[in-house]
Amino acid sequence: MQVHSDIPLRQFGNKDVRISALGLGGHHLGDAADEVTAMRIVQEAVDGGITFFDNCWEYNLGKSENWLGKGLKGRRDKVFLMTKVCTHGRDASLAMQMLEQSLNRLQTDHLDLWQIHGVAFDNDPDLFIRPDGGAEALMKAKEQGKVRFVGFSGHKHPDIHLKMLNTGFPFDSVQMPLNVFDSQFQSFENHVLPELARRGIAALGMKPISGHGEPVSRGVITAQEALRYAMSLPVATTITGIDSLEVLHQNLAIAQGFAPMSQQEMQALRDRVKPEAGDGRFELYKVSLKFDNPESRLAHDFPIDMRQAETKEMMQAAKNTGHPYPR
Amino acid sequence: MEEEKSNQRGNTVGLVPRRALGRTGMQVSALALGGYHLGSAKNQQEVNDIVARAMEAGVNFFDNAWDYHSGHSESVLGTALKGKRQQVIVMSKVCTHGRGKDLALQQLEESLRRLQTDYLDLWQIHEVIYENDPDLIFRSDGVAEALVKAKQQGKVRAVGFTGHKDPKIHLRMLNFDFPFDTVQMPLNCLDATFRSFEVNVLPVAEQRGLGVLGMKSMGGSGEIVTHGAATPEQALRYAMSLPVSSTISGVDSIQVLDQNLEVAREFRAMPPGEMEALRKRCSRFASDGRYELFKVTKKYDGDVGREQHGFPLAEELPA
Repeated sequence: MQVHSDIPLRQFGNKDVRISALGLGGHHLGDAADEVTAMRIVQEAVDGGITFFDNCWEYNLGKSENWLGKGLKGRRDKVFLMTKVCTHGRDASLAMQMLEQSLNRLQTDHLDLWQIHGVAFDNDPDLFIRPDGGAEALMKAKEQGKVRFVGFSGHKHPDIHLKMLNTGFPFDSVQMPLNVFDSQFQSFENHVLPELARRGIAALGMKPISGHGEPVSRGVITAQEALRYAMSLPVATTITGIDSLEVLHQNLAIAQGFAPMSQQEMQALRDRVKPEAGDGRFELYKVSLKFDNPESRLAHDFPIDMRQAETKEMMQAAKNTGHPYPR
Repeated sequence: MEEEKSNQRGNTVGLVPRRALGRTGMQVSALALGGYHLGSAKNQQEVNDIVARAMEAGVNFFDNAWDYHSGHSESVLGTALKGKRQQVIVMSKVCTHGRGKDLALQQLEESLRRLQTDYLDLWQIHEVIYENDPDLIFRSDGVAEALVKAKQQGKVRAVGFTGHKDPKIHLRMLNFDFPFDTVQMPLNCLDATFRSFEVNVLPVAEQRGLGVLGMKSMGGSGEIVTHGAATPEQALRYAMSLPVSSTISGVDSIQVLDQNLEVAREFRAMPPGEMEALRKRCSRFASDGRYELFKVTKKYDGDVGREQHGFPLAEELPA
């Protein structure tokens, strides 16, 4: 069967670069059944027209970057590779160390985009812009040619995003949750998207089906409606979590030959989900710690959750399994 | 009654002072006994001892809520107050979380039965913490109507609301112009510089002459103290020095009670300069909400409200 790479490409902010309208999320990649499955997801995604790959230093404590690096072997030049740094307010030197680790795991000598991860605490913008903070690391990595573009990401509150923008740092991209529920609760769509358009900064949407797809499993909305809504917003790409070939195929089907929703269609969907949108029940990343990884929690002295994937990996690291290499 | 009053007057040494509860005409102790933690005490005897000892020290104000420990907190307080009801100010809270007036009045009957009394001095709407709560509370046939009715029926003397999440939600509640007598909110030395109830809500409540009840003086579970941001004495003194009617403090043992009483007996307010210095010193621990988890996580959001708002329960989503 002939595979056509007909996922629309969109401009990356005001830069002379185009990326696929659908991006592959790095966290869920680490949740795939095994390494071979993860590699196949990556390979089929590239062949299916996805060029934007998301990841993060702390996702599954490195597993996500490792598996993506393996999957991209021989395909690195076909993609726009992003990962994120997890200093969470700590020093620039730590950020540079994390960058080296990410490059090693991703088996490459440069990133197309390097973003500050998890800008989710009210004081993160102050910690970012302080002397010897994350901002200095972003500049340095760019100067050294290790990253082409820089940005930040967070899922907590539009005010925190606006505070980051108001530090005056020259960001190339900003990542945020964008879905139909967000449109009427502590809304990134209403408060951050227009500001990015004004500044020519690339907008990267995430959590199109609300993180773990709760509204879909509860029958409030279909996965197709959710993803189509998010992709119809004025964003460079919509990053979606894919942990199996089945989900990949489902999403590729939506993205290949994508036609945006009309304004009326979008408004009708907003109106329909209004009763479930007003208290954040389907946006737990805004109102709970659920999506805050232990790395960020520890840096801010917040309590950790033993059931989180990253926490479990941390605890596993203390066990001597008798194996020379993790299996 | 008269004899009791004169006894107190004659023996004010070491007593917790009383303050006006807004414009209700009631006088409440500047330190109140929190109802939730009372339900965590070892057994009924310990609760009896805590309540008796608190009253000896001049505490007359007792907090509770319909959903605390699924009713256990109200039951143990009711038993401990047997024969003392007329000497105290009893508050409980209603937990409709968006549901209607009838359920609210049903919960009131349950609270009264557990507390072994036929009236409450103060009845408050519990956990106003979701952004759409004000709309749900003031919808027709909502819980606000139950407050009015209960007051008319003489089952409650005063009404108010409480919540621990965001000053904006409190201000929206107050903007509905409902005749609340009291408002309860987190007030502590970290709150002053982070999503602050002290800065944003307290002046509005004062201006309206509402009785203000402070809570979470140490962060909810002592986070402010156990992490070393402030000592228990500093934290409680700061909260009690604000212009509030009372500071509700959770007590689940005699030891914790004594720690609080040491500050509250013959309470002397912190000088403004000392308060400012403490706020300033604490601001570095305040700016991300790390020790005010009730504002920034689900940790302190009860299951009854989560269920009504379609959120995972605490067991599944602890914070």
